[in-house]
Amino acid sequence: MPDLQRRFLLASLGVSGAALMLRRPAFAATNFPDKNIAFVIPDGPGGGFDSYVRAITPAMEKALPHKVTVVPTNVPGAGGARAANEIFRARPDGAMIGIFNVPGIYIQQERGNAGFDLEKLTWIGRVGVDHYGLAVGENSRIKSVDDLKALAKQRPVKFTSTGPAGTAYNATLIAAHLLGIRAQLITGYKGSRDYVMGAVRGDSDAVITAIPTLRRMAAGKTLRILATFEEHGSVPGAADATALGQPELANITLQRLVAGPPGLTADIKAALAAAITKALADPQVVGWAKKADAGLAPEGPEQAIATLKGQIAFYNKWKPYLKAGQ
Amino acid sequence: MLHVWLSGIEGLLQLRELTFLALGMAIGLVFGAIPGLGGSTALALLMPLTYGLEPFTALALSGGVMGAVPMGGSITAILLNAPGTAPNAATCIDGYPLAQQGKAGLAIGAAASANSLGGIIGTISVLAVLPVAKELVLLFGPPEFFLLAILGLVVVATTSRGKMLRGLVTGGFGLMVAFIGYDNVSGDVRFTYGVEYLWDGVRLVPALIGLFAVAEMINLMVKGGAVARDAGTVKITRTMSGVIETFRHPGTVLRGSLVGTVVGAIPGVGGVVASFLSYSLTVQASKDPDSFGKGNIEGVIAPEAAINAKDCSALIPTLAFGIPGGAEMAVFLGILVLHGLQPGPLMLIQNQTEIYGLVWALTASCILASCIGLLLIRPLAMVTLIESEVLAPIVICIALVGSFAIDGQIGNVVVTAVFGILGYLMLRFDYPRLTVVVALVLGGTAERSFHQAMMMNNGSWSIFVDRWVSALLLAVIVILLGSPALRILTRRVRKRPIAVEEPQT
Repeated sequence: MPDLQRRFLLASLGVSGAALMLRRPAFAATNFPDKNIAFVIPDGPGGGFDSYVRAITPAMEKALPHKVTVVPTNVPGAGGARAANEIFRARPDGAMIGIFNVPGIYIQQERGNAGFDLEKLTWIGRVGVDHYGLAVGENSRIKSVDDLKALAKQRPVKFTSTGPAGTAYNATLIAAHLLGIRAQLITGYKGSRDYVMGAVRGDSDAVITAIPTLRRMAAGKTLRILATFEEHGSVPGAADATALGQPELANITLQRLVAGPPGLTADIKAALAAAITKALADPQVVGWAKKADAGLAPEGPEQAIATLKGQIAFYNKWKPYLKAGQ
Repeated sequence: MLHVWLSGIEGLLQLRELTFLALGMAIGLVFGAIPGLGGSTALALLMPLTYGLEPFTALALSGGVMGAVPMGGSITAILLNAPGTAPNAATCIDGYPLAQQGKAGLAIGAAASANSLGGIIGTISVLAVLPVAKELVLLFGPPEFFLLAILGLVVVATTSRGKMLRGLVTGGFGLMVAFIGYDNVSGDVRFTYGVEYLWDGVRLVPALIGLFAVAEMINLMVKGGAVARDAGTVKITRTMSGVIETFRHPGTVLRGSLVGTVVGAIPGVGGVVASFLSYSLTVQASKDPDSFGKGNIEGVIAPEAAINAKDCSALIPTLAFGIPGGAEMAVFLGILVLHGLQPGPLMLIQNQTEIYGLVWALTASCILASCIGLLLIRPLAMVTLIESEVLAPIVICIALVGSFAIDGQIGNVVVTAVFGILGYLMLRFDYPRLTVVVALVLGGTAERSFHQAMMMNNGSWSIFVDRWVSALLLAVIVILLGSPALRILTRRVRKRPIAVEEPQT
């Protein structure tokens, strides 16, 4: 009897142990997050990506199932490739996620500046999207897209931009081609504020960049918006992609996607995605976006992957032309 | 206009705003004094805390930090040759020799008063310039940036008296280091030898900490003794003499403040250029240029006056166009955006109360910090009496930790260590460090702007003379480069009659 009892006891212990072991991943997952989360920004402080992350992290902390701090961490360098490398190599425990510039980061991967593979990252969602637009300096003699086309017949139209690995550079080349404008790019500007400022100063004839930036400068009477690359224009008096007869222009966007390292478990991914979605609906974040003219556009993991694939397909289509342009 | 200035002051004179201003000032003083931390780290750490504050209160806090950082930075630059912030590196050149001579009190007194005066002159200049800020900023494009960078290099090279060749060698080395990393023009990563840390280039602040703080401590350990070589000569009580010295050199203060104001207003040039340019111009204007680098009080006054004036005017490109002049302003820009204050031309019209409130906050903080600096001189100057065996390990530890703290990169620590050894070798073999710093700061700007200027003008060099600001800058460069030859020529002409007479006697 005692032997039976001992066997029973041992068997019970074994079963309980196995059950506990089986439960461990679930227990670990429900315990997420159990430490602070680094939210990597592929840029220095003060830029658009930095502002998005800093605006949503306090709301994200409130939305996470356990109280931890989400720490905005700036990892600038190589057009976002350094940050992507860091996230790609991180342990898949949810303690490090990052915001990505798509298609910018794909362009970096294609140029070989990468120790990462975008397809292997765990995509968590999207926080925002910006469409692009075309503008000239306030005092420019160019009044319309047609004026630019006419100028392009005499000489290449100059555009200020970042380097060939930047989103703006590629967006400018594609948009100018679609509009039938022969373009010459003045590169080397550090970011959007820098090259927009170049256009205001008269370094170039025109500039192509995200609409919120253009809107801000236009409100200050330093730039004039000629066109927006949206299906339905949001700037009165400016032609949109439909009016220009080039619906493909609306594909030129700046997507702000969020991802974690490869192999993030489904529970952690779901917890993070839910927290980001909740954060984006937080009144404080919505209020900030309204004041800052930030294009909040929440998407879940599956939609974010579709967005990424869509952007990759679009750029792959233009790859031969872009390569020739460089 | 007056009512907007007054509304700025009125907004600031609330208990909550004043409390946060004082808090920011205290934080700025401490973060400024610790090499590597500086204003950008302080603001980055405070950024989440400002989230719950009213925008105006957040601006008072930020203004408090930014106004006090230069004073904190000058204290360690003078006492330990460890610039708290990058622009304070210029203060080391004469401030530290003064501390070695036991005149730390005099140097800090002069730095504090120059800081305040620079801040006040900077504020007056900004108040005068803000209404036309847009036009001023738009005068400077790629050709002007390139020539400004060259002007900076030329000014510094011409101040390396008697060591021109050595200055060129170290300047060339600085340029080579400045080109490491991601090239914005071509979009390629270069000279990194597969080291990922270098993709963003060699960071300036870790390099400066090594070049000055670590190098000096190695030197101190090798030589032995304390910073103030002869403890008996330390006169800590000469605080007021330092303050008086500043007022005895109004030309230096004014020159420094104006250089600071102009350089600060040009986006992307930064505080290091302001302080070094002010220092170099003071050396050039001096009747006794050889006394610089050996403890000339004007060598402390000139950069310190420039740094605070620059902080005020750096607000112009940051607020008018959202283009930060340096790391600190970049983080500050983040705080503005976080509070829904969108920098841009419209901000100058829509948020005048906030802008002027910020300018007053900066000025108040810089004066307050200088007063506190003066009060603390006595205990602080005792640091110069600590023996090297105790002081050097502590300073090197703080320097390396500070370097790591910038953005948590171990690569920063390696850069600090490498530049520390390099700095010591340069000290040992008498190679100027000034040219390395200026080349490191200006190299990237010079290269990028040159390419952009050439692209703007289809490869034609005429762009450098077609625009009046470029032409003016070019003329100044030519005069500066030609001045030594001109001086030699005049000396020869003057000597010639005597040389002719000599054989006859």
